[in-house]
Amino acid sequence: MGVEANPTVIETRDLVKVYRSVRRPLRALDGVSLAVRRGEVFGLLGANGAGKTTLVKVLLGLSRPTGGTVRLRGVDPRWASARRRVGYLPEGHRFPDYLPGAEALRLFGRMAGVPESALAARIPDLLRLVELEDRGRDRLGKYSKGMTQRLGLAAALIDDPDILFLDEPTDGVDPVGRRKIRDILLHCKERGTTIFINSHLLSEVERTCDRVAILDRGQVVREGRVEDLTRPTMRFAIRLAPHDQPRLDPATLQAKRLVATNGRVEVEVGDLAELNRMIDAIRGQGLLVAEVTQVRTALEDVFVEVVSQENGR
Amino acid sequence: MKTWALVVDTWREAFARYTLLGFVIASTLFILTLTFALNLDIVDGALAAGSLFGKAFEMPSRSVPIDEVVTTGEAFFAGMAYALGLFLAVFTTGSQVPNLMRRGTVDLYLTRPVSRPHVLLGRFLGAVTVVAANIAYLCGGVFLVVSLKTGVWNFRFLAAGILIFFVFLSYLGLMFLVGALSGSTPLSIMIPYAVYMVTMPLAAHDRIAAAMDSRLAAHVVQGLYWILPKSAELGKEMVELVLGRGTPSPLSLATTGAFGLACLALAVFRFARRDF
Repeated sequence: MGVEANPTVIETRDLVKVYRSVRRPLRALDGVSLAVRRGEVFGLLGANGAGKTTLVKVLLGLSRPTGGTVRLRGVDPRWASARRRVGYLPEGHRFPDYLPGAEALRLFGRMAGVPESALAARIPDLLRLVELEDRGRDRLGKYSKGMTQRLGLAAALIDDPDILFLDEPTDGVDPVGRRKIRDILLHCKERGTTIFINSHLLSEVERTCDRVAILDRGQVVREGRVEDLTRPTMRFAIRLAPHDQPRLDPATLQAKRLVATNGRVEVEVGDLAELNRMIDAIRGQGLLVAEVTQVRTALEDVFVEVVSQENGR
Repeated sequence: MKTWALVVDTWREAFARYTLLGFVIASTLFILTLTFALNLDIVDGALAAGSLFGKAFEMPSRSVPIDEVVTTGEAFFAGMAYALGLFLAVFTTGSQVPNLMRRGTVDLYLTRPVSRPHVLLGRFLGAVTVVAANIAYLCGGVFLVVSLKTGVWNFRFLAAGILIFFVFLSYLGLMFLVGALSGSTPLSIMIPYAVYMVTMPLAAHDRIAAAMDSRLAAHVVQGLYWILPKSAELGKEMVELVLGRGTPSPLSLATTGAFGLACLALAVFRFARRDF
């Protein structure tokens, strides 16, 4: 059974957030309605200033909405009890740099109400999970950006959350660290944790999320499952056997040749019959086709298209 | 557990920023000076001779009973600790709220299942315990050394420590309010100093108001006197207390306490409603 049948755990209705200003009020959120089900990994996309961080802050009770409603498991997040077993990794977080890593986890674990006995076991486990087991005694002031980010993730997981909010979780993290964070998130997902990711790293979101919403100037302009948004196109990637690649005559491709990189040729065809004619022509030259893959629209393409449409309106 | 976490966090911060260490070192130096560098010769219950760092005091021509010497010395020390101690305590704790409210830090604290008033009051309690421990160490240490050396146990001196702590609490409330409103450490330190400076001449509020040309200005002076802590009066009354000549006036205590309490309540209200 998919997550579609699960109850909604994060919900906003007609959410409005206006920042008062002397010059002119800023409408950061403008009627945002979203529902995230238990166990879902939800991605919030948007350009800088689209209102993503504001939405996360309202969802966590850090900011008060100007209008509309927001609920975490049916409760207003401004109530402390609503934030029980909710993890949060803020963007640009600043942990108290005077604390060693393990003590920072202890502080936030205690504040989350985790018993001392459970903390004694959980802190080493989490440090191991984020590969900081040998740095737990070092002060946070000595941590690199990537290490701090991983410790932030460990702190977000300290009370074994069933809802996890991540604001730019891989920001400033190298590819290895990024992969590690992604693995941890997938591990959380397998355990049924609901994950709400706010990111502008679209490839990360595409790999991790079940469903996404695109926010533009405070409004949700597109929402759907990743596989629905990234629909198949009539573009195909054709890869030849390695020794045949240099021998391909471009004229053989009776279609618009798009890109040829790393031994792959990407073509666009009108229909499948045209594709098959092209493959026949290639094989007619005595070349071997190793792989034909249909290209899907990347989330990045969808994002750029949607945001451009909205800005062109 | 959550309150304990916040108190421990405040202690760790004070320790890491060397403020705690600075306090302890300064207090210890003072206590050690009293212990080893101060020598008093007492003959028949009166001070016969004395020296500090080997340099003899000038002795009065009449015989001074040792209990009078001790209470006068303790009163002098209490007066000094009152002004200097408040100055240092404000300096030490001024960053409590601004540090908590730093962007990227406040999110980490406020997204836990703890109410905002709980977080702020937990920090308040942490600061209170840090300063209480320091005052207790300094005043308790001085009291013990002096009492053991002279055999005069003037317990009113300990009450002076409690009074210093009480006035500090009032200013801590103000610091928390300024911090919650502005998020600025310099302002959280400067405004209590400014208020302290203003309260000193306000002890003569009746004379100042009488000298004012406008009735409005006179009312402002009187209003400020009743609203602000009675720093000058309590300082003077504390000295009298140590000397055994009186007790602090309930009015001074009540208005000073009310000021701190009102500031703290406003700080909690503001902190609880603020957007982060």
